[in-house]
Amino acid sequence: MAKLELHQVRKSFGNVDVLKGIDLAVDDGEFAAFVGPSGCGKSTLLRLICGLDEISSGQMIIDGQVVNDVPPAKRGIAMVFQSYALYPHMTVSDNMGYALRLAGTPREEIRRRVEAAARVLRIAEYVDRKPRQLSGGQRQRVAIGRAIVREPKIFLFDEPLSNLDAALRVEMRIEIARMKERLGTTMIYVTHDQIEAMTLADKIVVLNAGKVEQIGSPLDLYNTPANRFVAGFIGSPRMNFLIVQGHRLDGGRVRVPGGSVSLNTSPPEAAHEIGVRPEHLELCAPGTSNALDGRVAMTEHLGSDTYAYVALDGTDEMIVVRLDGERPISQGERVGVLVNPDAVHVFSTDGRTLVSAKPMARNAA
Amino acid sequence: MFDLSGTVSKVVFGLTLALIGLFLFFPLYWLVISSVKSNAELYSIVPTPFPTHPTMTHFVTALTTGKLPMYLFNSLIASGSSAALNTLLALYAGYSFAKYRFAGRQPAMLFMLSAQMFPFGLLLISIYPLMSEAGLLDTRPGLILSYIVFALPVSTYMLYSYFSQVPDELIEAARADGASDLRIFHTIVIPISIPPIVTVFLYSFMWSWNDLLYSMTLIVSDHKRTIGPGLLLTYLNEVNSDWGGAMAASLLASAPIVAAFLFLQRYFIQGVTAGAVK
Ligand SMILES: Nc1ncnc2c1ncn2[C@@H]1O[C@H](COP(=O)(O)OP(=O)(O)OP(=O)(O)O)[C@@H](O)[C@H]1O
Ligand SMILES: [Mg+2]
Repeated sequence: MAKLELHQVRKSFGNVDVLKGIDLAVDDGEFAAFVGPSGCGKSTLLRLICGLDEISSGQMIIDGQVVNDVPPAKRGIAMVFQSYALYPHMTVSDNMGYALRLAGTPREEIRRRVEAAARVLRIAEYVDRKPRQLSGGQRQRVAIGRAIVREPKIFLFDEPLSNLDAALRVEMRIEIARMKERLGTTMIYVTHDQIEAMTLADKIVVLNAGKVEQIGSPLDLYNTPANRFVAGFIGSPRMNFLIVQGHRLDGGRVRVPGGSVSLNTSPPEAAHEIGVRPEHLELCAPGTSNALDGRVAMTEHLGSDTYAYVALDGTDEMIVVRLDGERPISQGERVGVLVNPDAVHVFSTDGRTLVSAKPMARNAA
Repeated sequence: MFDLSGTVSKVVFGLTLALIGLFLFFPLYWLVISSVKSNAELYSIVPTPFPTHPTMTHFVTALTTGKLPMYLFNSLIASGSSAALNTLLALYAGYSFAKYRFAGRQPAMLFMLSAQMFPFGLLLISIYPLMSEAGLLDTRPGLILSYIVFALPVSTYMLYSYFSQVPDELIEAARADGASDLRIFHTIVIPISIPPIVTVFLYSFMWSWNDLLYSMTLIVSDHKRTIGPGLLLTYLNEVNSDWGGAMAASLLASAPIVAAFLFLQRYFIQGVTAGAVK
């Protein structure tokens, strides 16, 4: 049982404000992912929660108890570091049992808990090795094991998989998903990797420049981003943005580079920019009515999908269109781009969302 | 780096190496062979490159008749304790400079290192009245302390540079695991820092073992004299002609250092922190 609440948490280093008032609640058993661009304060926030750094102001509450001044070991939190931070001179089992030994846990119980964790993480045969005798993936498992044996109320992970190669990442991601199922402990997970965040998290916290941009389920953020930043950050390849040019046309349409786009409502007065995800665009014959015209500038074939980068007529802006992997397409080809009206997001000058796309707006045509 | 494939460059390289080797090792070689030559051979007009009749008599005489064992023992006490104390102090000082941020950290470190800029003979000028004032002249503690004065700044700096490279995350992981600062230092940082600690110990041990000036000046009683002045006063005077004994004694005096290096060299292996991070 552990619910974590942050109220107006701020952190400054000298006169640099890194976190500018974070409000956040993570429920018991919930898996929250922190995402955001490099330097936005994800690690800093995690370190504050762990207790490695002191918060400059605000309140941090675990299970209804203010823990601002509680040292890390007393918060019932275990952290898995990006660099593993294994004690190099200790064997795997000593690494995993270190916290328990410090806490004065009986030897027999330490052994039992270490063995159990090692078995679950499939490192039982390595428990007598030193960290340097392990592969990257095994080290990562030890680092996670070290957290598990403490039976913490909250797990913190700071980009735990970023040092692993692609295949191992996928494997460890599934491992962590299973661990979440099995333990049901509150977990907070910092990542750069969208797929990790989308697949693992119950709740994603999007941070930018020390502030929370939006908190919501992965699909919430994908379907109804609160602002342009979140819209551009969640989803890969990222959302296409087109500046609304000149006057709005009649019939719920706006003029953008390359033509005009229909909306499913009448465009709001403050409409400044529209956004459409690559998966909500279709190619059609050039000159089709209601479509944007342009020329294919580049293509990326990923096997299952193909991405076409289309330079729209009259601008040097490119928009990305996701196509079926088998679809033949050649560079320089003139094409039309059909926009699904249900899938258009509209943003104001200051980046707020004015109109959200309809959920599940995938173009059926 | 260098292309050593050509014959000429090989020859030049080999010759240079041989020259340097000769320059470095000839005195040592002469020391060794002279110590095992008989007196008759030592004083023959034409020097012999190899001892014709190797003998251990000089070693036996040096160890049984003179005061050499006593000097060696005194040196061991002085160097051993000053090296131990110096290493201990440098450990804590170096760690706090490396991993704690406190007011005056930078100036304190510069100040400490500035002691290094004075020739050690010069420091002696101020150490002498200090020791005299404190009643530590002609005492072992006095000598031990004065050795530390010179060795501590460098030792602290050496350990400081090493500790700076110990990843913060390692320390933080231990903190999150519930270890106190001292506990972290003792159970995590020191165990992974054995090589630099051994290096610092050896450095300070050698520095005091090889010392002549301080011991000569600060110690006057013969029974507290260390090996440097001991050898000098025993063998280098007008009446002495025991070159074989001097050679044997010199060898015996350098033996502990050589032994320490041989014994401790396995700690100089790299990559002790391998596997900690990344
Ligand atoms: N000890 C510190 N002193 C001063 N500034 C710091 C300190 N730690 C972090 N910062 C600053 O705080 C900001 C946020 O750093 P943080 O490490 O939290 O970013 P992050 O979101 O984890 O980035 P990344 O994704 O690259 O890991 C950065 O601009 C960084 O320079
Ligand atoms: Mg980070």
